Amino acid sequence: MLPDTTVVKTVLAGVTQAEVSTSSLGVVVHVPHDDAAATLSALKASDLGFVMLVDLLGTDTGEDVEITYHLRSFSRDEELFVKCALSYDGVLRSVWNVYASALLPERETAELFGLTLAGHPNPARLLTTDGEGPLLRRSVPIRTLEEVRDR
Amino acid sequence: MTDLRDTVLTHALQAEGTFGPGKAPAGIKRIPKGVDGLATEHLVVNIGPQHPSTHGVLRLVAELDGEEVVNVEVAVGYLHRGIEKLGEHRRYHQLGTLMDRGDYVSGIHCELAAALATEQLLDVEVPPKAQWLRSLMGEINRIASHMVWFGTFGLDIGAMGQFLYAMREREALVDVLESVTGQRMMFNYVRPGGVLDDITPDAEQKLRTFMRTIDAYIDEHHALLGGNEIFQKRVRGVGIIDRDTALSFALTGANLRASGIPYDVRRDKPYSAYGELDFDVPLGATGDAWDRYLVRMEEMRQAARMIGQCIDGLPEGDVMAKVPKVLRPPAGEVYACVESPRGEVGVHLVSDGSDTPYRFHYRAPSLFAMQVLEEIIPGNLLADAIMLVGSVDIVLGEIDR
Amino acid sequence: MALDRITGEHSVAFIRSEQLFDWARRNSLWYLAFGIACCAIEGLMSASGPRFDFDRMGVFFRASPRQADVMIVAGTVNKKMADTVRLLYDQMPEPKWVVAMGACACTGGPFREYPNVVLGVDKVVPVDVYIPGCPPRPESVQYGFIQLQEKIKRQTEERRAARHDRR
Repeated sequence: MLPDTTVVKTVLAGVTQAEVSTSSLGVVVHVPHDDAAATLSALKASDLGFVMLVDLLGTDTGEDVEITYHLRSFSRDEELFVKCALSYDGVLRSVWNVYASALLPERETAELFGLTLAGHPNPARLLTTDGEGPLLRRSVPIRTLEEVRDR
Repeated sequence: MTDLRDTVLTHALQAEGTFGPGKAPAGIKRIPKGVDGLATEHLVVNIGPQHPSTHGVLRLVAELDGEEVVNVEVAVGYLHRGIEKLGEHRRYHQLGTLMDRGDYVSGIHCELAAALATEQLLDVEVPPKAQWLRSLMGEINRIASHMVWFGTFGLDIGAMGQFLYAMREREALVDVLESVTGQRMMFNYVRPGGVLDDITPDAEQKLRTFMRTIDAYIDEHHALLGGNEIFQKRVRGVGIIDRDTALSFALTGANLRASGIPYDVRRDKPYSAYGELDFDVPLGATGDAWDRYLVRMEEMRQAARMIGQCIDGLPEGDVMAKVPKVLRPPAGEVYACVESPRGEVGVHLVSDGSDTPYRFHYRAPSLFAMQVLEEIIPGNLLADAIMLVGSVDIVLGEIDR
Repeated sequence: MALDRITGEHSVAFIRSEQLFDWARRNSLWYLAFGIACCAIEGLMSASGPRFDFDRMGVFFRASPRQADVMIVAGTVNKKMADTVRLLYDQMPEPKWVVAMGACACTGGPFREYPNVVLGVDKVVPVDVYIPGCPPRPESVQYGFIQLQEKIKRQTEERRAARHDRR
């Protein structure tokens, strides 16, 4: 179910400059990344009851890296998406103090999009070895047919 | 003649002396001499990635104080093969082949998640027969997947017999899956718009034979493993995940329900034919490993119940909607989720209007189940650590993607 | 032979120790329990299960590389895993063999385009038998082991022939 956009706007009114909209995804809140932790805290503590961070992912939009936080409320059966824009090689501030489930997804997102993790207890690489670039950026190509054939 | 035992004993004591103060390798925590005068230290032990019971290539770095695990760190990435990146270079109907290889034990559910996301973008309606077939194959896959979990969970504790019993049940189910889809593991069965083919009479016959015996077999397995006193002593009260921990670590599936939170995607966000099927959702009380075991055993019984309903209630009609050969969904973003045996498998799909996705993200329940291990393993013995890895049921293919 | 006259005809068999050891090696190939990915479920777990029963061929798993004869590389090898695969191969005592099971271990498989994936495990360790498939059926894996047994037999005969030529 979709949460009420006016309620969301009220909850976030004192916290940050939030743009609340509805799309094919559902209700999406765009906030500046510096206020992401405060936004998530407010949404978790409010009556909306977003107690679970279901997923955290990054998307390379071509101009920046968009971080999506997917929240879920069980008491009201509602889902909400919080999105922030980060510049390439920017700093990803951890929200693990609000939701512990952000720990590993943040490491993975930072590593695969070439961001620097801040405020994280273990900001080391998760999936790839040292020296591998930001593999999920759209500018990084996959192997060509020739490279694969001449293995 | 000198007593050889004295020689050996002196040698051992001398060897102990070589680990004196200041001689331990760097990074090992030294604890000063205790009451009995013996110096002890924490030992850092590496478990995996090659290990008989890590459910794939999981690496745990455990810091031990004697036999007790003080701290554990998970190290993954040994199976990172770019499912998400390659999704941007595949057509929409090929996403199922990538998802299949994520959670490789429950391929139908993963294919279904990708198909549901594509169908949401396309806004296409799937025929009822295909919906029921998806549920039927999904529940067959659920029992097969839980059988793999059951067999390997016992192996983690040291029980070897139930593994062969579980494999026997799984072979019967995989036979049915092969009859219908042609493949034992990477099914390519669920596609955007419907499914590949109808259930064959041969498969239906095999299923009905299986249904006659499955309840008795599950009871037999439960008696074999769960009824064993050693198993119960090892599993009861160990690895308790309370409600707050389960929510803050985003657990889903049997792990969440064992901690007492009644959330099941099939019941709360019905997809395919689950809205019309009659089933119970088992719930645990304390969230220990024993509850997780019981919840999964009961899920198998409920899945068997659903299979019976699906075979009897299968509607007539097409198995595939009219969708174009090359899918070009309009630009948009969706999240679609299913209840796989591991938990909530989600696909976050972004389309830019072309024939390949713009961004394909696989929300893996095993990643979150593995994260919680760092929270529940410390304080337990090393043998319990291995058991807990088995009790949360992870598959490395979807953790590393 | 004199012994035959005492015990009766055809009651004594003669074999070179080398042939005996190779016969023993062929028929008791113990593999390292090392499943990387999806192929492990089919080729290691199902093939050792009650229906396909690897044990009737003398094949079962050992947890430690020190006790294993064969390493079945079942799954995609990527750059992080390659070091571990090589380390495990080096830890196995001679004589040892490697079976590359599945398309990923043979040549990179469905993930060959991703830069992090190694295009086949033969870039890391020498491979004796390749079993294609995604995943190969358990019977294919057993057929691969039969081919490995034939290969070991051929190697014995080649060694003997080489020694004959040198004399």
